[in-house]
Amino acid sequence: MSELNVAVIIKLEPDFSEGSVSYNPDGTLNRAETKNTLGPHSTIAAHAAFYAKVMYNARISIGTMGPPIAESALQMAQRLSDAEELHLYSDRIFAGADTLATAEVLKTGIEKMQGKMDIVFSGHRASDGETGQTGPQTAWKLGFTFLGNVIDYKIDIQNRTITAKRLVRLQGFSDVVEEIEAPLPVFISIDPSYKPLFNTISQRLAFGKFQKEAKIRAENYKQYLKVFNVQQLGVDPKYVGLPGSPTIVYKVERIPRGKATRQAEVLDGSNPEHIRKAVSKMKEALAAMVIK
Amino acid sequence: MTEGNYQHLYVIMEVEDGKLVPVSLEMLGEARRLVDSFNRKYNLDEKVVAVLLGYELNDISQTLIEHGADFVVYAEHPELMVYRNNIYTKVIGQIAQDKNIAKIISSEDSNFKKPRYMFFGADNIGRHLSSTVLVELESGLASDINKLEINDIKLTHQHKTDGKEVTYEKTLEMYRPDFSGFLWTTILCLDNKNHSIEREYHPQSCSIIPGVFEPIEPDKKRKGQVIEYTTKIDQNDLKVKVLNRQVIKSEVDFDRYRAVVSFGRGIKDAPEENIRLIEELAKSLNAEIGVSLPISKKPFSINQNLSAKYMILERVIGTSGRKISPMLYVAIGISGAMQHVAGMKDSEFVVAVNPDENSPIKDECDIFIKGRMEDVIPKLVEEIKKQSFVIQA
Amino acid sequence: MEKYDVAIIGGGSAGLAALKQLSNLRKQAILVEAGNKIGSKNVSGGILYSKKSKKGHVHNVEDVYGDVFLREAPLERKITKYILHSTSKDKVYSIDLTAAHDYESNFGYSVLMNKLNAWFADQAAESAQKFGGGIISGVHVSEIKFDEQRNTSIVKTDELEEFEVKAIIAADGVNSEIAQISDARKKFLPSQLYQGVKVVVKIPEDVINERFSLKSREGVAHLFAGDVSLNHIGGGFVYTNLDTLSVGAVYHFDSLLENPVEPYTLVDAMLKNPMICEFIKDDVPSRRKIDKNLPQEEQLRIRFAITKLIKSWNELRESYFSKGKRDERVKSGKYQSVEEIKEKLDSIREQLTQKYGVIFVTDYVEAEYSAKLIPDGKRCRMSKPYHRNILFVGDAAGRGIFVGPRIEGINVGIDDAVRAANSISRAIDKNNFSSDYLGEYYSSSVEESPYTKDMKQIDKDYLKIFLDASKDVPKDIISARYSTVLKLMSSDTIRSVAIKFANILGYERLLPMVESEDTYVKVPIEIAERLGKTVSKTYEPTIPSIAERIAKLKFNDDSNPHIKVLKPQSEFMKKLVTLCPTKCYSLENDNVILQHEGCIECGTCSQETDWKHTRGEKGIVYQYG
Repeated sequence: MSELNVAVIIKLEPDFSEGSVSYNPDGTLNRAETKNTLGPHSTIAAHAAFYAKVMYNARISIGTMGPPIAESALQMAQRLSDAEELHLYSDRIFAGADTLATAEVLKTGIEKMQGKMDIVFSGHRASDGETGQTGPQTAWKLGFTFLGNVIDYKIDIQNRTITAKRLVRLQGFSDVVEEIEAPLPVFISIDPSYKPLFNTISQRLAFGKFQKEAKIRAENYKQYLKVFNVQQLGVDPKYVGLPGSPTIVYKVERIPRGKATRQAEVLDGSNPEHIRKAVSKMKEALAAMVIK
Repeated sequence: MTEGNYQHLYVIMEVEDGKLVPVSLEMLGEARRLVDSFNRKYNLDEKVVAVLLGYELNDISQTLIEHGADFVVYAEHPELMVYRNNIYTKVIGQIAQDKNIAKIISSEDSNFKKPRYMFFGADNIGRHLSSTVLVELESGLASDINKLEINDIKLTHQHKTDGKEVTYEKTLEMYRPDFSGFLWTTILCLDNKNHSIEREYHPQSCSIIPGVFEPIEPDKKRKGQVIEYTTKIDQNDLKVKVLNRQVIKSEVDFDRYRAVVSFGRGIKDAPEENIRLIEELAKSLNAEIGVSLPISKKPFSINQNLSAKYMILERVIGTSGRKISPMLYVAIGISGAMQHVAGMKDSEFVVAVNPDENSPIKDECDIFIKGRMEDVIPKLVEEIKKQSFVIQA
Repeated sequence: MEKYDVAIIGGGSAGLAALKQLSNLRKQAILVEAGNKIGSKNVSGGILYSKKSKKGHVHNVEDVYGDVFLREAPLERKITKYILHSTSKDKVYSIDLTAAHDYESNFGYSVLMNKLNAWFADQAAESAQKFGGGIISGVHVSEIKFDEQRNTSIVKTDELEEFEVKAIIAADGVNSEIAQISDARKKFLPSQLYQGVKVVVKIPEDVINERFSLKSREGVAHLFAGDVSLNHIGGGFVYTNLDTLSVGAVYHFDSLLENPVEPYTLVDAMLKNPMICEFIKDDVPSRRKIDKNLPQEEQLRIRFAITKLIKSWNELRESYFSKGKRDERVKSGKYQSVEEIKEKLDSIREQLTQKYGVIFVTDYVEAEYSAKLIPDGKRCRMSKPYHRNILFVGDAAGRGIFVGPRIEGINVGIDDAVRAANSISRAIDKNNFSSDYLGEYYSSSVEESPYTKDMKQIDKDYLKIFLDASKDVPKDIISARYSTVLKLMSSDTIRSVAIKFANILGYERLLPMVESEDTYVKVPIEIAERLGKTVSKTYEPTIPSIAERIAKLKFNDDSNPHIKVLKPQSEFMKKLVTLCPTKCYSLENDNVILQHEGCIECGTCSQETDWKHTRGEKGIVYQYG
């Protein structure tokens, strides 16, 4: 029995890199033609969980809500985190969920994972629209203490506490690194700048060992995979998917743009008239800055 | 919906180190504009309510009133001095559902349950806080919004209206720029009017991108009322202890400025003198100063102070540094390498000063001033002073 | 402080062999590599040899890794032909040197270091793990302190807490920092080094087979001398890999200093040679400029669509022209038949041409540009390759073989590594790490290596192969320059005596006679002009600029510069402006300035700079190597 149970929630997302992504003529993402991959922030969350594996020999579980193909994201995340349990919450009813309804599914799923979770990790946000609500909403539903923008953490296994560093970036203020302490369980939304640090030889060796184990496990990921539909998960269909979503997407439209490309107007720096013109354009640019 | 259940626009203020985060006043400005037109349109008298949590912030309440708040609900407590998600969520949840507060605001008894609308800042505090508060209030949330309207909306929706046409009155249309940057997605938070899943979703809430909206002109004569809220603190919500807070970056902050002046290796003929000129230009535009990557590698030997101030990675704009999108970007002596362009191409308006008309930056700018920086910058500075820019930080 | 028996510094093929060998001997060792993963900073020409020397025993790669090496290692092609070309403009005269390649050889495989070292690492790490060791990448060693009392070394790194070891194997390459830190040797001089530059060119597997008349998995090595060298001492090469070609140029550093030419210009001279042009050509999609008047998002959409189609076309084509890969595609059920792959390929092509106006042209595709310094063991090998408890192997010890067209390094490094591992194993058993018991033992073991003999002496049998191969070359071309030598070589008996005498004189004194511009440039040009066949090119290759080449490389940029210019006005540094393979230097106001982030850590500039490798995980990340 591991002394620390860690869950990660992840997401299969469109791969926005050039060569993988396709757009429709109207500028919307062509989802059918675009390859999918484990989201970049999910990747960081998986790394954060793997840190717990290497440092504290944690037992890792991963959960995701999505269509059947989302199991590929689970496999990719297992490859990164050496997880021993993969959960896919997949049902037509879940489709179209907003973050509140998604959080309901994830919360129920996490409670069905083996062992009582001590830490749940989620990515900072998804790259295809969701802007980081799912993590904190799931945390609140679970009743876990939520810690956002975490860039580093240590666990005191004996006392069941965590100390973590959070990066606080606020408009007009210098960045602040806040060090906090909290009792387990906690829910951590990991900051994009997180990078696990292993600074002894033995930690690095353990890292290598578990990485290899992860690779083998991921090759046989199906034996770790459990798929849940709405009944198996035991959620109220009224609180998930579209019925459970307060928000809807009402319309999608093109953002009107001033100019399509930059066509430089060449001015002569030695001509006072030109300088005047340049400065008045600069002034205009600065005046047009606010949407009134 | 019973009229009166949901009223007013609550705006959650953010404070750091005893000072307001600018997005707070920006939200208040937009709230003021929206509520004024709302009241005119519907002939109502709903209020802009600023919700302020913290400790020893007395002066701020007055600032909020001057910037458009009709009411300031101020929850003061030492435990609220620094943002912590748990306790903040609980206190805001309590305030948002507090009938006594609503009674003072509406100056009458009502069936108040929750606010009609709620705004948060879309930043490190507000994004998470809005998420947890809206679970607490069991309603919907749209994130990263940069345009707002209130309209009556006719809608037929399979789930929301069971396929029938229904008019949703006083609906907040929340516009979110999508990941491509080309599209606006409008998000609505709507009650379920379908009988099988009937539920009311209020407040309609969103988080607002910092730097988008304009605060209103502060008016010292504006009237407003401060409601001191006595916070009920549950020890269970104080599990998180803040051990230490450390400022890690003080020098460079591109986000705080609307203009950025950058320089590259073009300063080479007289690095120190040219940096002085650039400092002057940046000052006249109230701009932050950036550099191209090669500058951060200290290619010239210049005095220690200037070197330590400017030839550093924190100032680099480009793939190996920061990506920025100021309203005005001025590139001085920058050729326009791909790596650099990637960091500044989203700027609204780009001016380049460069003696070489063939340098690639010409294709990436709106105005290309041909000339040596030694000659051009002093003229620009002079002209800027003449045209007397009034630029806010 | 954590304690381990042995630290190996550097995860190239020599360091990895040392780790594997120590594990074979059941000893605990950890290998520390600066790159973010094994192989990411390694470059080779390259051919990996296995030898059966008449002069003594060498430790071959397959001895270290076992039978699994030939079964599973990612080797490119087994080189079965070895041809030397003399070039002058469009004239080429070819001599078959296969016999020289086969001399004392079990086999020679073309290899790409990135893949191969990753495989070595898997093997070595698995063994090492059993004895409490392993491989740690992304760690840069910055300091080694010798503890006199404990007779151990404390290793400090930029990334990890310091640790203690009993012995160290320095396998950190030609620019060994360990050698500098420990003061074991001076930096190599330009006269002791060659600079190699290489591009990897992509061509489908079957196309290579057909173009070079090769059986599956068989390969050929083409060597070049003459005008392609732009008057430098050295030569060029084209090696066939599985589905790429390695095209490179290797020149003596002294001759580059004498006549500075940009390293990429030297590779370009190879690529422009008509014979090589025809070697590297392929069917290449060429994009049309996207209409700038379209809305920006539409331009972006089109660009993305084209990129995606071209990527799919390339991937599918690579499979289609490879028996193994196309069978795999059919087997996986993704395609019903080979014909279906062809159909899909044609349909993508049609979409590209019809819908997006992409045209397909004859050109070539460069996948990677790389460079490295190569130590000439004749001139720079360490006479005693150790310092206290640190044993130096391979390039770090200056041990490379340069005999005419014979350039070997990987196999030498592996042989050294085994000798170092064996010496340390013996020291561990006796718990005696003194210089007498460890260092001297290793030093004499290396001295006995047949490779060391090849660095000291002329091998008369090897020389005879050359003379035989070049028997059709008219004597007058050669005799004007080498008449005395030629006479001495004319019969077996005289040759034998002459070589004995020459070997007493030693390589050092004879080198200027042989390694000259005559040998590498003038004679080949004359041969080509007199005897060569005309080869004409059917197209003009679009050679990328150095900026485009650098843009294609992957870097993990380090904000801390790892190089400091010490003498910004020296003659050497001014030549570096030309000789840096990635144009990292420029001259401003008579000062040489380091200005570019595209450093590939070749060490060309290390002579007069404060030169370190980048910190762990930083810097260049090669994909082929």
